[in-house]
Amino acid sequence: MMKSQRINVLQHLPFLRGILKSRLFQPVLTISTLFFFTLAIVTGLFGTPVGNRNFGIVFVWIVWWGLLIMLLVPFLGRLWCAACPIPVPGEWLQRRGIINRRQGRLSTMRWKFPKRLRNMWLQNFGFLGIAIFSAIILTRPEVSAWLLLGFSLIGIVLSVLYENRVFCRYVCPVGGFIGLYSLMAPVEVRVSDPQVCATHTPKDCIIGNEYAYGCPWMVFPGTLERNTYCGMCMECIKACPKNNVVINLRPVGSDLMVAKERRLDEAYKAFIMLACALLYSVVLLGPWGWLKQWANMDTLPHWLTYAGVFLLANLLLLPGLFTLTTLLSRRLGGVQLPLRQLVTDYAYTLVPLGLTAWIAFSFSLVFTNGSYALAVLSDPFGWGWNLFGTTESVWAPFGSSLIPFLQTGILTAGMLFAVNTAYKIAGQHTPDPRRALRGMLPVAGFITSITFVFLWLYLG
Amino acid sequence: MKRELLAICIVVLILFGLPVGAFIYQRQQTSSDSTKRVIIIQAAVPEAGGFQPSAIKVNAGETVTLRFSSVDVTHGIAIGPGLGIDLGHVDPGHVKEVTLTFDQAGTYTFYCNTWCSPDHWRMRGIVEVTDPNNPDAIPTAYHDPIIERLVAEGVNIDANVTMGMADHPQPDVLTFDQPPSIEKGNILAASLAIPSELEDADWQLSHTPTEGLTLLKEMNPATPIGDLTNVIAYLWASATPSEDIQWAESYYNQNCAACHGQTGDGNGPASDQTAESPVAFADFTYMFGVRSDVLYAKIRRGGMGTDMPNFGTLLTPEETLKLVEYLWQLAWQSGDG
Repeated sequence: MMKSQRINVLQHLPFLRGILKSRLFQPVLTISTLFFFTLAIVTGLFGTPVGNRNFGIVFVWIVWWGLLIMLLVPFLGRLWCAACPIPVPGEWLQRRGIINRRQGRLSTMRWKFPKRLRNMWLQNFGFLGIAIFSAIILTRPEVSAWLLLGFSLIGIVLSVLYENRVFCRYVCPVGGFIGLYSLMAPVEVRVSDPQVCATHTPKDCIIGNEYAYGCPWMVFPGTLERNTYCGMCMECIKACPKNNVVINLRPVGSDLMVAKERRLDEAYKAFIMLACALLYSVVLLGPWGWLKQWANMDTLPHWLTYAGVFLLANLLLLPGLFTLTTLLSRRLGGVQLPLRQLVTDYAYTLVPLGLTAWIAFSFSLVFTNGSYALAVLSDPFGWGWNLFGTTESVWAPFGSSLIPFLQTGILTAGMLFAVNTAYKIAGQHTPDPRRALRGMLPVAGFITSITFVFLWLYLG
Repeated sequence: MKRELLAICIVVLILFGLPVGAFIYQRQQTSSDSTKRVIIIQAAVPEAGGFQPSAIKVNAGETVTLRFSSVDVTHGIAIGPGLGIDLGHVDPGHVKEVTLTFDQAGTYTFYCNTWCSPDHWRMRGIVEVTDPNNPDAIPTAYHDPIIERLVAEGVNIDANVTMGMADHPQPDVLTFDQPPSIEKGNILAASLAIPSELEDADWQLSHTPTEGLTLLKEMNPATPIGDLTNVIAYLWASATPSEDIQWAESYYNQNCAACHGQTGDGNGPASDQTAESPVAFADFTYMFGVRSDVLYAKIRRGGMGTDMPNFGTLLTPEETLKLVEYLWQLAWQSGDG
């Protein structure tokens, strides 16, 4: 992507640099979300077990989820990770403080995180492990609360053992897909001039200085080319003595074309997220009540069957079909690259498709159930409170007639973007535009077919 | 350093102050003043524990608020006997409450009156009202003259009629050319000689329509049997004021229709889940052989081994009698279209 296609936001909005350089920036975000996070856990543990009347369920799985997948990730990438309350207790323990930059190294046991786990596989399997219980987690406040509490405790333990945000980078099941889908975001934290970083030996952004900690995400901004592992905490902006770190506006999906950093673990994340969007649409939005019951663990054999099919679809079926598609693509395009590389490369076409599929899924979920938020605002525990006079507000689906149009629109946009991405990726494999076109055709067919399955599910 | 301290204070306040504050607020909500106690009762289907708590104690004269919430399905909450409290539906996660003062010591029952599960009828809880001046007093035994009279008479009110056990002497089975009609009976009654017993509510209570028919026939031997059955239907249905029938119909629909059917055909949506087939009150042939006091006793004590619950803890004797009167309405309904 051409550098000229970037707009340096900090240049146009200089006051923003002041805000981001302030050590208050991230604590204000995290302390605010910590309030809601704590409330979600307490209401989950002690409030009504009725999901739609419990703050923990409604605000986490409807309000937060809707904000995350429909607004934050598509428009602001990983900014949520800067505000996420889950890892902050661990991080505060490491730093022995909340706001100020304490000098000296982080307080941890300084273990080294295993090299073979420094990828997205833990996040992939973690996400799947949670996904097979999702029907239960999304409806049982207590289970949901223990899950959130568990995340936070894991975050604390990992912060005690390892330096920096190992939990966010390698473990958090949510962080994995946020990272992948933030490739699409029109916002990035990058250096203005990589040459400045190359010649600046102190590397304050890595080791930190009196103003900021070294990158908690273990990323060197000087060579950063993708959003995937940048948590947008803005420590590098604070740390950089050259004011070389900036925030850019850029074309959507720019990172998809960064060929050298594509990896199989990320490709699998794309498969898993797309398959999960498809399966969630079938189970949670579909008309098959028995399937909901199976997912809800009505009997153990039913759930085991459901979980088995779920895992099979995620780990074998969809990746297998995509591999066959890629095989065909290699043959048609006459490309001699290894199949593994081709599968990995083309899997990034599923990033726009997957993101828009999740947004389409969330239109139904959020618009239909969003009105529950009013009641739980006034009565978060379901104990009969009426804090803001909205307890008796009735469930009222919003924009029911609009949802199919929005779903069709976003899925079509995602499909077109994905097909275009497939063509560009094919172009990276061969300089011949005709061969690139032939090579991308099977992938385009796969993308179109999946889109039609989604449309069939949503529109009947 | 100040802002660091402030941040730590805010975080501590969130992590510890928020939950503690919530519980303190809730405590204040449930005991805002000393004269009004709030008792929180969670309703769940009986298979999941029913009411929690299922037994509460209050003092006579004490004003309490009973706050009900449902944790699973829609329940209906009523409190009896004799209080006439029906909170209506309580949907999952919603809260409904009633504030009341129990004047006298005794035992009351709160119960679900909306079919919520196969064991719905088990969903009950009790309010034990004690006299604060004499808290250890043992309640005096409750006497029910109607049931005591049945027992003295030797009627086996725990017999299971649907299993062929007779709960009282059965008359010969009548055959009907057409269903008895209250309207026709009303017209005919003026032209017939009516034995005084048949116009005596107490006699009616303890006798079957068939026994009444025998007396009526003795005094009107020339009248066709069909006309006489119409008069019997009229006499058995005419005593109750219409507002009582309306109340009884509503109560029946809420609490009995699930098994016995809204029309009394014994074929309600839950009829296939009971140990024995529910009695069909709309079967006038059967009802001609039934005594009101036996129906009364069955309602109040329940049916042994049939899954018919007892309503004696939910209804006053007067309310039970109103319900019996409504059963006679169901028995004769087919004759008047």
